[in-house]
Amino acid sequence: MTSAAAQEFRLSTAEFERFREYFYKRTGIQFTTGKRYFVDKRIEACVRASGHHNFTAWFSSLRVGDRPELLQELTNQLTVNETYFMREDYQFDALLNPVLPQVLAAAAQAGRPNGPIRILSLPCSTGEEPFSIAMRLLEEWPPISHVDVEIHAADIDSDVLDRARHGSYGERSLQRVPKPWLAKYFHAVGAGRFQIDQGIRDAVTFHRMNVCDTPSMRAFTDFDVVFCRNVLIYFDELSSRRAAENLFGAMRPGGYLFLGHAESMSRISPIFTPHRLPQGIAYQRPMGARQ
Amino acid sequence: MNGTADAARVLVVDDAATVRMYHCKLLTDAGFRVEQAANGLEAVESAMVNPFDLFVVDVNMPKMDGYACVETLRGDTVATSAPIVMISTEDGPGDADRAYRAGANLYLVKPVDAARLVRVATMLSGAPL
Amino acid sequence: MGLVRRQTAEVTRQADPGTLQDRLADPDPEQRRRAALDLDGHAEAVPALLARVPAETDLAVRDAVLTTLAAIDHADVAAGLVPHLSSDDAALRSAVAGALSAMPASVPALLPALLADPDHDVRIMTAMVLADLPHPGAADWLAEIVATDRHANVVAAAIDALLPMAGPQHAAVLRAAQERFPKDPFLHFTIDAALPALAEVEA
Repeated sequence: MTSAAAQEFRLSTAEFERFREYFYKRTGIQFTTGKRYFVDKRIEACVRASGHHNFTAWFSSLRVGDRPELLQELTNQLTVNETYFMREDYQFDALLNPVLPQVLAAAAQAGRPNGPIRILSLPCSTGEEPFSIAMRLLEEWPPISHVDVEIHAADIDSDVLDRARHGSYGERSLQRVPKPWLAKYFHAVGAGRFQIDQGIRDAVTFHRMNVCDTPSMRAFTDFDVVFCRNVLIYFDELSSRRAAENLFGAMRPGGYLFLGHAESMSRISPIFTPHRLPQGIAYQRPMGARQ
Repeated sequence: MNGTADAARVLVVDDAATVRMYHCKLLTDAGFRVEQAANGLEAVESAMVNPFDLFVVDVNMPKMDGYACVETLRGDTVATSAPIVMISTEDGPGDADRAYRAGANLYLVKPVDAARLVRVATMLSGAPL
Repeated sequence: MGLVRRQTAEVTRQADPGTLQDRLADPDPEQRRRAALDLDGHAEAVPALLARVPAETDLAVRDAVLTTLAAIDHADVAAGLVPHLSSDDAALRSAVAGALSAMPASVPALLPALLADPDHDVRIMTAMVLADLPHPGAADWLAEIVATDRHANVVAAAIDALLPMAGPQHAAVLRAAQERFPKDPFLHFTIDAALPALAEVEA
């Protein structure tokens, strides 16, 4: 087959269904037929990039796992890679109510009425998520006046961590920040960019961390709330299980874990208990031993 | 006939896509609104956010098996009182007991007779015969 | 009050493998869980880890034990896990099947015995393992089950596992299965539904 002919290949309906079923089985995410065009284009790009001569060969290679970069490329193609302030902020709504009140009540019962309450954002990427959490707490959580809150942020990529520590963002990332908050917490640094103020930057502790690495994840303990959004589903079976166990160990019993809005623990691990919130489902590290 | 607002809602839980498809077809043709889950954990999450009139649950599933699923559906986190039919390849004497102890209403052995499944689903869910 | 910054805890030195193996029997499930995870990659701990599989009552600990074992994709591990496929405990046999399905290096050697096991439930669990085993031979083993197994539920499980990886070359064995089980409506429905789609898949 010439490369021109390879360029022309189109995913058949049978191939789309095959991929859809595989993806649902691996991640729990269902593509509706309305997403057909989106998925087709992305798969076609993956097949071309892989050098395999057709979908069957690429798909077989993906299933067997002989080329880890195929899964990476598929992930990059299928996810919305862009991060921005207040992304999926219904979960921050849930954090403010009912999660933090429940966490605070439990802390008070354990003799820690003023905290510290520990929140982890992992992966934090360029910092939009932890800084969003910080602003929401400062602006909309009255108990912040007497409760200590630690915000920790972690990522495996040291370049994005440097950018997060620097904390400067463009208009697109800041689009959903309320204008009064932009004025209050950021200052213009030219070229349409704004840097978040030193006080907020100092309030978040950044760490380089690989969620799959058990020894280094032992540095994280007793977190009351963890945001681990849009990363776990793309790990292979054993890596995602280990990551789930490492997150479990980083949490206090009764602590809450938020995944991305389309994600579910159902394909990853049974060790967390699903918990229904008004805003959707979060996961809890169980209180006692589970049989 | 399927998909009417009054149609009873069934959740079919089985890791086998072919079995889900088959049971889904039988029940949809009989007038049920059918949703699917591929393991016990997904079933619990679905049951937390959707009301179902009936559950059809396989035993051998990864991540969370059928008995654990049924126990969780009956437990505090979901607390459903909807009827649950368990379906299994096992036909040992203790298996049905295990299903009833977990909270199932009925235990059927694969391969399930199509007419029987529709009949029990209809009777258990209270849908008109 | 407010947003405060505090250092994370000093990471304690990981205990030596001997101590970790002892902790696998600690009365505190969190100690057992962490020990199982910290034994990642320690092949000498395989016997101790395997001993925990049927004995462990805490779900998160057993999951950790199996996660560590599955990553040590070695003949001793597979041989130690396979007997649990015939367990009466549905949760245990499903959890073990999940671990085995992530072990493409060591499971193949055990397949001949598994495919010939007199217990049809073991053969069904084997089909479930093959459904997810990342090995290029999985389709062939499943096709063999479809072609030769005498039990309809085993053949059904194998077909379900095979279809996502099947090609037009499997049409014959699927049709033959319909003929071998003429009275099984599920097999007829499933194979009738699958054959047209198979024809569309490029080999």
